[in-house]
Amino acid sequence: MTDGSMTLAPMATPEPARLRHSLFAPDKRTAARNAQEARFRFYGLVAIVIALLALVWLLFSIFSAGLPAFRQTFVEIPVTLDAAVLDKAGHGDPAEMASVTTIGYGKLIGKALAAEIEAKGIDIGAMTPKDLVGMISENAAADLRDRVLADPKLLGTTVQFTALANGRIDGYFKGRVTMESAARDNNTSPEKLMLADKLVAAGVMDMRFNPGFLVMPDASDKRPEAAGLGVAIIGSLYMMAVVLCLALPIGVAASVYLEEFAPKNRWTDLIEVNIANLAAVPSIVYGILGLSFFINFAGLPQSAPIVGGLVLTLMTLPRIIIPTRAALKAVPPSIRDAALGVGASKLQTVTHHVLPLAMPGVLTGTIIGLAQALGETAPLLLIGMVAFVRDFPGAPLSGLFDPASALPVQIYNWTQRGDPGFVERASGAIIVLLVFLIIMNTAAIILRRRYERRW
Amino acid sequence: MNTDRHIASAFDRDLEGVQALVLKMAGLVEAALADAASALETRDEALAERVREGDAAIDLLEEQVNTECVRLIAIRAPAASDLRTVLTVMKIAASLERCGDYAKNLAKRSIVLAQMHTIEGAAGSIRRMARQVSLLLKDALDAFISRDVDLAHAVRQQDRDIDQMYSALFREFLTHMMEDPRNITACMHLHFIAKNIERVGDHATTIAEQVIYLATGDLPRDPRPKAESVTMGNL
Amino acid sequence: MKDLRLERDVQTETNKIEARKVQVYYGTNHALKDVDVDILDKTVTAFIGPSGCGKSTFLRCLNRMNDTVASAKVQGAITLDGEDIYDARVDPVQLRAKIGMVFQKPNPFPKSIYDNVAYGPKIHGLTRTKAELDEVVEACLRKAALWNEVKDRLQSPGTGLSGGQQQRLCIARAIATSPEVLLMDEPCSALDPIATAQVEELIDELRSQFSVVIVTHSMQQAARVSQRTAFFHLGNLVEYGETGAIFTNPKDPRTESYITGRIG
Repeated sequence: MTDGSMTLAPMATPEPARLRHSLFAPDKRTAARNAQEARFRFYGLVAIVIALLALVWLLFSIFSAGLPAFRQTFVEIPVTLDAAVLDKAGHGDPAEMASVTTIGYGKLIGKALAAEIEAKGIDIGAMTPKDLVGMISENAAADLRDRVLADPKLLGTTVQFTALANGRIDGYFKGRVTMESAARDNNTSPEKLMLADKLVAAGVMDMRFNPGFLVMPDASDKRPEAAGLGVAIIGSLYMMAVVLCLALPIGVAASVYLEEFAPKNRWTDLIEVNIANLAAVPSIVYGILGLSFFINFAGLPQSAPIVGGLVLTLMTLPRIIIPTRAALKAVPPSIRDAALGVGASKLQTVTHHVLPLAMPGVLTGTIIGLAQALGETAPLLLIGMVAFVRDFPGAPLSGLFDPASALPVQIYNWTQRGDPGFVERASGAIIVLLVFLIIMNTAAIILRRRYERRW
Repeated sequence: MNTDRHIASAFDRDLEGVQALVLKMAGLVEAALADAASALETRDEALAERVREGDAAIDLLEEQVNTECVRLIAIRAPAASDLRTVLTVMKIAASLERCGDYAKNLAKRSIVLAQMHTIEGAAGSIRRMARQVSLLLKDALDAFISRDVDLAHAVRQQDRDIDQMYSALFREFLTHMMEDPRNITACMHLHFIAKNIERVGDHATTIAEQVIYLATGDLPRDPRPKAESVTMGNL
Repeated sequence: MKDLRLERDVQTETNKIEARKVQVYYGTNHALKDVDVDILDKTVTAFIGPSGCGKSTFLRCLNRMNDTVASAKVQGAITLDGEDIYDARVDPVQLRAKIGMVFQKPNPFPKSIYDNVAYGPKIHGLTRTKAELDEVVEACLRKAALWNEVKDRLQSPGTGLSGGQQQRLCIARAIATSPEVLLMDEPCSALDPIATAQVEELIDELRSQFSVVIVTHSMQQAARVSQRTAFFHLGNLVEYGETGAIFTNPKDPRTESYITGRIG
């Protein structure tokens, strides 16, 4: 029996002097640490409050500026569609009728408005008929012309016509235009505003929900009241469809290959680093790539959702690949072992077990990637989607090649316009964009919740 | 034999503890044998009485060894050499306890013999035999302490000497009894004493065999060398 | 004289797996050196040894699970019934159906109990009809001593079972492909003593049909369930023999040090 027990005996080292402290009285160090912790909590709280205030302020400013865009001032008047003016040849042939420009229709509307004002017994003072026409949006004549050309039988009848009021009149009711500013404005006058008040009182003019904001195309600089998001929304949807159809399968396939099949060597490391870097590349670079490759080299049309979709696909790919790989990596290796252990092939292991388990992560990554793509502006500017597009693109798939706009580009575009009416439009568009983003993020959360599994 | 220390030092302490107990027991047994033999020779009844009383301590020690071993098996789950150590310790303790009983029996009989007529030379022979057996026992335990297989084998061989001494004494007592029937009672007692001492020798052999098992993992296969039995008919 | 010792129930002396001069390298690390083992049919063989001694590595060589580790390189010959499993013609997928595996952590698929067991037969096309599959699932769950506990909730998720039940489910899943050898990599390390005892009892029952190889850190477990024990140390197979002999009288001092809990 060797003598090991001696070495096990506690060494007689001098112990630090230990003073007996009451547990009820915290010592200095403890007090200092507690104070530190309290301070840290306070800073955190302050940071949260600042962030919340910023968010509230952002939402408030956007909503207060943007909500009026969903309401618009309309003038409702009976218009007699005089055949003598609109169809001089009298053949009822739409082709011939098309030769009558909006000026002709404008005169009819002016006449109708004057008649209506007279019928209501409102004093127009010194205002000329031209002034009266100025009360109504320049777009009204175009609307009326479209309506007649679409249905030539209306010729010679009197129709109830709902015209958009001029942007300044609309702005007056929304508080954007005041008597003082109107006096300095050569597009309107205080008299027009007073007349507008009277028209409202007479029930000819009123303000109501404007579905046109969501469905109508963009309008020219002078007609903010007629501008809508229709083309932009369709363009954005087309692009998202392209991104989803391309980025999801390509991204998932690339991730699965890299994560499950690819050998781990310098090449795959290089690819990995590059994917991470691509996610950090400024989006405008993708725009330049799209411009030089898809438009200049491949000869795809400018302003087309297909090109925007392709560019956004390139931009979104790394943003889908990275979370998808993370989701695949998060699947416990024991599941792979289990599947391989019962003799499943590599592909069966991935498709039967790994991918379903990674699906919540994949879907979340995809939707977040899509949401980012939806809000992306810079690359689209470079491929010409900022152009003024009034014509709706056709139905897919050929419609993908028609010129279109996109929501963020439309917002950018409107903020560049001179008329103050477009500021309200831009804010309204931001609200629409936000709603889309919130819907997508909610979908991401719901999908994640639903498919989330414990193992 | 593995002399590395266990990772669990308490295991080492427990193992050493039971072995120390068994050695202490061996010391008591050796002393009891020597004392009893000397009490027989010197007719020292007080010493014989002390030996008788001392056996209780040996019994108690055996009980303690058993308890500690059971505890050790239950708690430490010893394996291989550790397991063999524990089992060997238990068996040695049992053997030693029997040896203690024989010493006690010797003391008891020496008290009876003290009242009787002396048999010439018998007490001295018995004391010599007892000393020889004590040496054997000591060797067996030394072999246990040092895990010495050679010594253990030697102990097995030497047991034959004890057997021969017993045979000689047996013949001697037989002669005495045939000479004078009044000697029969004393000689019968002396014979039992000799037989018991011979059995102590057997126990020493058992201990030696246990040491061989402990050290090699196997009991010796060859039959134990025996002196020709005198009690079995070749008279 | 008749040998009155208790009968040791090794029923065959035929070798199921023969390993000769097996070397495994992980990159430059020589993880397993010159391992020669004959694994008997219908016998439980335990691999013991300190962490990193190569016992799990060797186990994973037996069904080529090391193939999934890119840096692993295996040399030497391992034969199953005389056929070299590292032959170029051997498809590891097919091999793994023959040599089932149970892992350290119970790892049921996050699917129903039924699907867990049915997965193997499904992908290997072992059954033709749903009724047949039902039969196989029931038989395997019975063999795994789990049927009575789960027969009323076959469609509930396998991950909802207790740890011991999960491990038995994994065993049922492994035997559903009717393997010839069952490899178990520390199957009880995550289980409580009762569940461990149940799994050990199960292993003993499975022995009548399979050759079972079990890696364990618990020497007591190796002693309890196995008939043959192999001790690995620093990538070497130090000692391989009858379990009782290893645990009462090991021949190699390293084995002795390890099983008696000394610093080896």
